[in-house]
Amino acid sequence: MSVLVVTEHLQGTVRDVTRELVTAGRPLGPVAVAVIARDPGPLAAAVDVEGVEEIVTVAAGADEFEGDTYQQALEALIESRRPRVVLLGFTVNAMSYAAAVAAKLGLGYASDVHGVALEGEAVIATRSFYAGKVSAELEFPGAETVLLLLRPTTWPPAEGTGGAAVSSLAVEVAPPRARHVEFTEPAATGDVDITQADVLLSIGRGIGDADAIAQFEGLAAKMGATLSVSRPIVDAGWMPASRQVGQSGKTVKPKVYLAFGISGAVQHLAGMKASGTIVAVNTDPEASIFGVAHYGAVVDLFDVAEELEKLY
Amino acid sequence: MTETRETFAGLSDWQVALWYGMIVLSTAIFAAGVLLLVLKYRRGRDGFRFDRPLHRLGRAAWIVLTHAWIRRRDGIAGAAHLAVFYGFVVLFIGTSILAFQDDVAKPLLGWTFWEGPFYLGYSLFLDVFGFALLVGLLVLIVKRIASPPRLDYGRVDGRSGDYNRARYAAGDWVFVGSLLFLGVTGFLLEALRIAETDPSFETWAPFGWLSGQALQAVGLDGQDAADAHFRTWWVHGTAALAFVSAIPFTKAVHMLVAPANVAARNEVAGRRLEPLPESPQPEDVGVALVSDLSPTHLLSLDACTKCGKCHVACPAAATGYPLSPRDLVLDLREQAEGTYGARSLLGAAPLYRADDEIVGGAIRPETIWSCMQCMACVEICPVGIEHVPIINQLRRRLVDRGELDPLLQGTLETIYDSGNSFGEPKRKRGRWAKELDFDVKDARKEPVELLWFVGDYASLDPRNVRISQTLARILHHAEVDFGILYEAERNAGNDVRRAGEEVLFTDLAAGNIEAISGCEFERILTSDPHSFNTIRNEYPPLGGSWEVVHHTQLLLELLASGVVAPSRPLGYRVTYHDPCHLGRYNGVYDAPRQVLAAIGCELVEMPRNRDNSFCCGAGGGRIWMEELKQGDAPRPSESRIHEAIELGGIDYFVAACPKDVTMYEDAIKTSGHQGEIELRELSELVLEALALVPAQVAADEAGDDEGGTTGTAGI
Amino acid sequence: MRTVVCIKQVRTLGDEVEFTDDGRDVDPDYVDLALNEWDSFATEEALQLKERLGGEVVVVTCGPEESEAALRRCLAMGADRAVRIEGVAAHDPIGVAHALAEVVRDEEPDLVLCGVQSSDSVQAATGTALAELVELPRVAVVTRLEPGDGKATAHRELEGGLVDVVEVDLPAVLTIQTGINQPRYANLRAIKQAEQVEITVRQAASAPAASRVRRMFVPPRGEGAEMLGTDPGEVARRIADLVKERTA
Repeated sequence: MSVLVVTEHLQGTVRDVTRELVTAGRPLGPVAVAVIARDPGPLAAAVDVEGVEEIVTVAAGADEFEGDTYQQALEALIESRRPRVVLLGFTVNAMSYAAAVAAKLGLGYASDVHGVALEGEAVIATRSFYAGKVSAELEFPGAETVLLLLRPTTWPPAEGTGGAAVSSLAVEVAPPRARHVEFTEPAATGDVDITQADVLLSIGRGIGDADAIAQFEGLAAKMGATLSVSRPIVDAGWMPASRQVGQSGKTVKPKVYLAFGISGAVQHLAGMKASGTIVAVNTDPEASIFGVAHYGAVVDLFDVAEELEKLY
Repeated sequence: MTETRETFAGLSDWQVALWYGMIVLSTAIFAAGVLLLVLKYRRGRDGFRFDRPLHRLGRAAWIVLTHAWIRRRDGIAGAAHLAVFYGFVVLFIGTSILAFQDDVAKPLLGWTFWEGPFYLGYSLFLDVFGFALLVGLLVLIVKRIASPPRLDYGRVDGRSGDYNRARYAAGDWVFVGSLLFLGVTGFLLEALRIAETDPSFETWAPFGWLSGQALQAVGLDGQDAADAHFRTWWVHGTAALAFVSAIPFTKAVHMLVAPANVAARNEVAGRRLEPLPESPQPEDVGVALVSDLSPTHLLSLDACTKCGKCHVACPAAATGYPLSPRDLVLDLREQAEGTYGARSLLGAAPLYRADDEIVGGAIRPETIWSCMQCMACVEICPVGIEHVPIINQLRRRLVDRGELDPLLQGTLETIYDSGNSFGEPKRKRGRWAKELDFDVKDARKEPVELLWFVGDYASLDPRNVRISQTLARILHHAEVDFGILYEAERNAGNDVRRAGEEVLFTDLAAGNIEAISGCEFERILTSDPHSFNTIRNEYPPLGGSWEVVHHTQLLLELLASGVVAPSRPLGYRVTYHDPCHLGRYNGVYDAPRQVLAAIGCELVEMPRNRDNSFCCGAGGGRIWMEELKQGDAPRPSESRIHEAIELGGIDYFVAACPKDVTMYEDAIKTSGHQGEIELRELSELVLEALALVPAQVAADEAGDDEGGTTGTAGI
Repeated sequence: MRTVVCIKQVRTLGDEVEFTDDGRDVDPDYVDLALNEWDSFATEEALQLKERLGGEVVVVTCGPEESEAALRRCLAMGADRAVRIEGVAAHDPIGVAHALAEVVRDEEPDLVLCGVQSSDSVQAATGTALAELVELPRVAVVTRLEPGDGKATAHRELEGGLVDVVEVDLPAVLTIQTGINQPRYANLRAIKQAEQVEITVRQAASAPAASRVRRMFVPPRGEGAEMLGTDPGEVARRIADLVKERTA
């Protein structure tokens, strides 16, 4: 019952989610971690954490992620190693190739999984449906290998050193049909890294319109907090994506996360629920955010903001 | 000497012939001008509607002759205009009588009547009315000089003067000046004639006679007077004929078009908007070109006298939004004239092509979207222009093309998907009723006396849900047999229609009508004036015709009949905001006031009350659109709270509409008056007056499920 | 240029939920339906391409008859044709991809657009699996698209806002992220007219399931938040205290 984890890396750094996958995979069987890159050597050390028995490097493709390369590499890894479970993070990169591998090889597949277990020989994955309102247990009858994309921050990242054996797999990779050209930052960013803040004042649709942003920026500054936002604010063009917390934004773990006017869409929760103390202010008593918050108040966020202004 | 006077005294035959020639010419020009106007109106879409002609003409005659609409909110101008109107009419009739005698009666029938007592009475009458004309004109001139706000022609819609507004002001002065000139020269003529001939019976024309004596006193009599009379006669006559020819081309046209518009006016304008044709194509939806306007609307544009009453009443204009109803009418008029009117024929700028679109050209989209559809403009317009339906038609085409505020788009999509503007699941609609400690009947399943159509805000917005629960408690206590539609109720569609999504409105209405038709009930009750308006006025043509009562009316019924009685007068000092859709739209002003009186509240009227009530800013779908507030300008709702605060010592601001409750609760906070005034909905005060304290409520509800109570609702 | 857009009619739940007898799905009575938000962006992108480059837009969905409402919404926006595939098991994105692949192959499109994910399943897999089954190149999570000659430049939005600029060979399958454009309003008149348009209905060939729901349930709610009351002043004080305490 072996487990294969595929490393997620960006610009030379291994992302936390890879280590979380190790923690998730350990109860299922011996964990091997694959590193796919043009030069995977330097990255291998970073994935040698406790719980990893083996590291397999695949030298292929470019320095940065390209879906076709990863697809071919993963297919070769699966063919040669026949793992029972393959674990990836539920990330933008994984979205670019994982389901293609599953479709091509006829694997079991589920994404945004937040629970995995073995029942005898069977792999059971738990995920949410309907905006997090229900959970479901999934089974994969007849699948020799199950490919699961796990929700980031659900499991704690494995630490320490595993002293894993390192091997390599040679894979012939055809030139990718979608090629990385360059990275760009979207305009008007580069100012603040919300992942470094101790206190985040986070605002969502509940603020009504763009005029309120300035008010909350001022309040955040007074409180010594950093202003972050949920996706709708970015989609509306009121704040840059660098301020966005959530599945497609940044994952944050501040000491205090103040969610004002955020309903708690599951994509947003994914980005902040590991925060130390979560306080949610929302006029809707049924808002999902109250399910993850430690403290809550069903009051008008502008009223609270006004009162907070007076205190600072 | 016979009491009469010689017409055409001192004119030779060729001069008389010249005069008649001038009359023919001036009449021809006048007729051509009128013809051009009629042709312009006929460019409109569909035919000219004039059903029930006798009723319309009778009603119009009454309104015009009593000046009922002109006298509103400005008694002085109204009286002055009355004087000018009757002065002009009487003088006109006077001249016609004379023309009749000279050109018809005498030559054809050999009959003269313009002499003797008839002549004396005629002289007196004309003199008095002529004097009234002059007085009226002078009063209006003084008012114009004093520059009231409504005559400020500054544009609020952000466009700088493509069309030079100075020409408007100049035109106004020329108009009033010409009338004054004609009046004065008329009297001068009379004075000169009397100075020349001095017949004793002319004391029957007191003003003329006095002036005549004055002229004689300064030595102007005899032949001098005759010469002056001759010259003045030609001046006056030419000026009069010139005035007449110019009528169709100048402000004077309102003399014809305004009464015509009053007669043609749609009596339910704004309250019941016009439907679309069956299976509409994009070009059938709303108005984009001048030729898409109806002939009646094109006519109404020319009726505008730029009085500015709509401009002053408009809450959008008052808040700095880029909308003035007056400017809208004038811009439309300019475009109509520049496309099809006399001005386009003469090639006088600004000119437009037939395919020039209205919005995006003469009128900016922001102007159209600023409107709250509150009907303040339509209500006060003395000549019956229908600004609100016109704006609505312009919106319809924009919506059909997808040119609308993204927030509004999102709300319309939400309403289509979930049947309510909040995006709440359909099942949640009746949740508020389930939270009560007694059962609220399901009108779909059992017969009820009152079918309560609750509405979006009253069902789903937390603050308004408390009010619905309050009303339900009152009804339960009064043992009123009522029920609601639960999940079968959808947004009534009033604001969807006013935002311009006509087909969605029809869809919503059809659904609601089907649901309601499946129920057994006597009357429909609603606590939401927007739903009240649309169900009462707009559902009948779609197949749903029922008696509808607003909860303020029902509360009055219960109080007046003694079904419920206040335990003691509340003694609060309150002010009341007339909701647009209850007051102006449907004329319900007294019921809420009588309820307040019955529960012992002292009502201090807002300065702008009843038909002059100032919209909270939510109507016309504006509550679903991006705020247009400019800088520090107070929102309409904030202005209203300031207005209430200035009354001094008001305990409660009383509202009777869920959107008002939402807007004013917010405004009390954002206007900085929190703590100085509180909002209460009428039901909440009634509940308090009935002293339905928790113990009482529990006693009523004992025997139902839990028996526990959540306490006096909402307070 | 022929663009196929794969859409989904998604379900939303309120606060109450009941399950079907077999416990594998939610009782449809408790569900509201709507066009998947991501798919309206994908449809809009396809329509803008059609306006620039000509051609047609075909929308395809897997679902029961009520999902035709979502197709008609897209037709009302301006799509030219609509196809519905029935007989596809719910909740398995790979199975859905197999069904879509049949139609996509028949259509021979120049471009296939899907939404990144559906709001009710959030698998973010269908588009990528579909691309594999029709053997087309793919880019996921696209926030900007500039088609060229035989190739396109696509911006992929990575977590945290970093943008990966990718060049992809056409034809290709792209999954479209929200915010890429402003989806146009499908007015009711157009929706009503779309109700007259005939929608092609096809049966899905059976395909192996990549997953199956064994049990669906309401997750136990955590203790929930400690509520701080409804007085804004009090709430503000508590927040200030917490911030001070937890950052000491």
